[in-house]
Amino acid sequence: MNPTIHTRRQFLRTSILGGALSWTVPAFLERTFLAMDAQAADSLIQTATGKDGPILVILQLAGGNDGLNTLVPHGDDAYYRARPSLAIPKSKTHRLTDYLGLNPNLSGLKSLYDEGHLSVIQGVGYPNPNRSHFRSTEIWQTAVDANKSDSHGWLGRYFDSCCQGEDPAVGVSIGNQAPQAFAAKEPRGISFARPEQFRFDLKQSAIPDAADEFFRSVNDVESMDGGSIGMLPGSNSGGGETLDFLQRTALDAVMSSDKVLDITKRSRSSVTYPNSKLANSLNLVARLIGGGMPTRVYYVAQGGYDTHSNQAGSHEQLMRELDSSVSAFVADLKAQGNFDRVMLMTFSEFGRRVAENGSGGTDHGAAAPLFVAGGAVKPGIFGTAPSLTKLNNGDLIHGVDFRSVYATVLSKWLKAPVEPILHRNFPILPFV
Amino acid sequence: MAAHLLNRAGFGGSSVEITKLHALGHVGAVNHLLSAGEDLDLYPVPPLSTPAENAMARRESKKLDQKEQMQRKKMFKEAEREQIDALRFWWLQRMRSTPNPVREKAVLFWHGHWATSQMKVKAPYLIWQQNETLRAHALGNFTPFAKEITRDAAMIRYLDLNTSTARSPNENFARELMELFTLGEGNYTEMDIREAARAFAGYRTNSSTGKFQLAGKLADNGNKKFFTRSGPLNGDDVVDELTSQPRCAEFLAGKIWNFYAGGTPSPALLGALAGYYRMEKLHTGSLLKKIFLSREFYSDQVVRRQIKSPVQWLVQTCKILDIPLPSRNVSDNVLRQLGQVLFAPPNVKGWDGGRAWISSATLLLRYNTAGQIVKARRSGDHSPVTPPDIDRIIPRDATPEEACVAIESTIFQSRMPGSLRQKAKDFLVANGSGAAARRELLHLVMSTPEYQLT
Repeated sequence: MNPTIHTRRQFLRTSILGGALSWTVPAFLERTFLAMDAQAADSLIQTATGKDGPILVILQLAGGNDGLNTLVPHGDDAYYRARPSLAIPKSKTHRLTDYLGLNPNLSGLKSLYDEGHLSVIQGVGYPNPNRSHFRSTEIWQTAVDANKSDSHGWLGRYFDSCCQGEDPAVGVSIGNQAPQAFAAKEPRGISFARPEQFRFDLKQSAIPDAADEFFRSVNDVESMDGGSIGMLPGSNSGGGETLDFLQRTALDAVMSSDKVLDITKRSRSSVTYPNSKLANSLNLVARLIGGGMPTRVYYVAQGGYDTHSNQAGSHEQLMRELDSSVSAFVADLKAQGNFDRVMLMTFSEFGRRVAENGSGGTDHGAAAPLFVAGGAVKPGIFGTAPSLTKLNNGDLIHGVDFRSVYATVLSKWLKAPVEPILHRNFPILPFV
Repeated sequence: MAAHLLNRAGFGGSSVEITKLHALGHVGAVNHLLSAGEDLDLYPVPPLSTPAENAMARRESKKLDQKEQMQRKKMFKEAEREQIDALRFWWLQRMRSTPNPVREKAVLFWHGHWATSQMKVKAPYLIWQQNETLRAHALGNFTPFAKEITRDAAMIRYLDLNTSTARSPNENFARELMELFTLGEGNYTEMDIREAARAFAGYRTNSSTGKFQLAGKLADNGNKKFFTRSGPLNGDDVVDELTSQPRCAEFLAGKIWNFYAGGTPSPALLGALAGYYRMEKLHTGSLLKKIFLSREFYSDQVVRRQIKSPVQWLVQTCKILDIPLPSRNVSDNVLRQLGQVLFAPPNVKGWDGGRAWISSATLLLRYNTAGQIVKARRSGDHSPVTPPDIDRIIPRDATPEEACVAIESTIFQSRMPGSLRQKAKDFLVANGSGAAARRELLHLVMSTPEYQLT
């Protein structure tokens, strides 16, 4: 364990001190200490990441990325036949093998591949593919069979089984909405679009100092008086858990917003990022990583992949934005010396039809490739290339279940047990 | 007690409303709430494209060249978006100001029960049509309600009933009907699902009216065996069978108790509620009356123990502060960020509710939204947010003690926790009781874990 106590929260949650302090803190903290003691013996529980644990960054390509124009099967005539206007000429792709090449706009990813820091997993999907954005995204986020549903996400279940008693910022999602992947029995993880909004806003206040003091005194449990909770009507009858929960969340919010604000104020990137939403998100993630957030999973998204019509220009643009943002992020992490402990994984709810449609675009499809990048990945191309002629309703048939990718990331990278999180085991891929 | 009743049965109210309700006595108040009417013309529906108009537009669009078709499609999507936004605000305003809040609250419950999302259904008209069906049956008998829902165009689309045929029955609706709508998981077999799916094969809607029609050729008239019944059963037979099972009353009564009182009822309480519900032929209004008159509903485990849903938080805040809802854009944005977009529940299970509403992000958003509302600058009728009249909430010349009493009766409808109360007093002593300080305090007491409870 880290000998230095970084935060007031850690200070409060250190068991020895916790026992001594328990008469001033409300009941839920005592329970946390007890729970932590009980859980310490449990091998599922991992110690806080501190400054050296592995970090996972999920990058969602929302809308259904056209896998065939991302990882181009330039060695297959069927590709050129199916896409008379959208196919990317062999000469333009960044050649990976005799059969595959990367989209011309992915030059940064090509360099990453060449230097051995990118793995490509092809033909990723799931049985009985669903072509609704909404439903298929849900399937990826909750990692259940296509005919089942679960309100908890796969990362939420990871938090539930491996990160109890940890910092609330164990998961950070950049955006206003927490992704469904984070949904958990014990909701954890924080989300915000802009750090300056993730705080108690006193801009309109006439007396900000007094207001801030009051605010902290009623939301930050550390400074609360011992008796406060007992005063609420009926709380002695054993039903006070809801208020406990709210108070703990309030504490989490105050503490993590202080931390986020503090880190983003003092951290600067040594790298210039392009000007795009994705780049801004990744820039923020890099600053949080560099600043020492105890976060294990970051979540960012890039939208706009639903290219039903006039795909050529818009998909190029998306690929360029993806490539330049990820490249800047990688350069930033390398400059920080953190590249080896970060793994970035992309996913999209589905790929697109093999054949282009009549509007110069492609419709919702099924299997597609995804990328995993990081200092510690085993480079290469994994999975088998899906056949372009043996199709299921015009769609590629997956060779790799996406949960195999999750299982690999969970067990090999995050060192978490797979079964409690994905409900069963899946074949592990050799990319870590 | 009157405040608790109004908070849970409806969306809360100002201290004047609470006092009025209190004066009616317990039974009188419950009767008054459950028998409230509402003028039909009070909430005119925003303009929505009808199925007939849409069908015609589609036909016409086919005659155009590809580029024009694309433009039409884009326009169509924009119109759809505008219409669903308008519809959302229409319902929210109805919750805010209806003289019959008990019914609107029940509509909200049923919207989460028969969860249907516009993200898949698309057509706002069909979403509105379903919302009116929920309203018509919200406080009535469950069996005809369920039958009506099996014929509802939005539901038929949402759970893929429109692709179900005798030859290949789609089981999506049949499964959810049992798992989420009537019995709960584990109370039926896969065989039951298959048989029920056959009974619903051929359920379609007329594309130019949005009304139900049975596609006779696609229906399955063969014999089916479903629980105690057998024969050429149809969808109504399936519903009759399901709702006649004791498990159905239990499942629904538990869900209703959870929505209104919070938590899981004890086996004894659940048994009593379910028994009563069955005796009343699953009449929801009667069950609610029983609940609102029960001692359990006012117990310490129930009162001020429920986390407000985002909709409850917003509507109740506006009601207690006696202000209109923030503008459509602001309200929409707030509910989106807080995780409850009406007509777009996350999945067919509806919203999880309870603790799932609260994360560090949404808690801070609630706090900051409270500030936005309390400290809004008035700028005419079109200002996005109307600030409350602070002098009416905490009188100008109130002593710190009186100010606390005022906050307790308006904001919490109960005593504040001792330390919060003391801090509020100290705050006024230290910062004076000018309007700015009182407004600040109002924002601060709403920016607490306690305010998230009702």
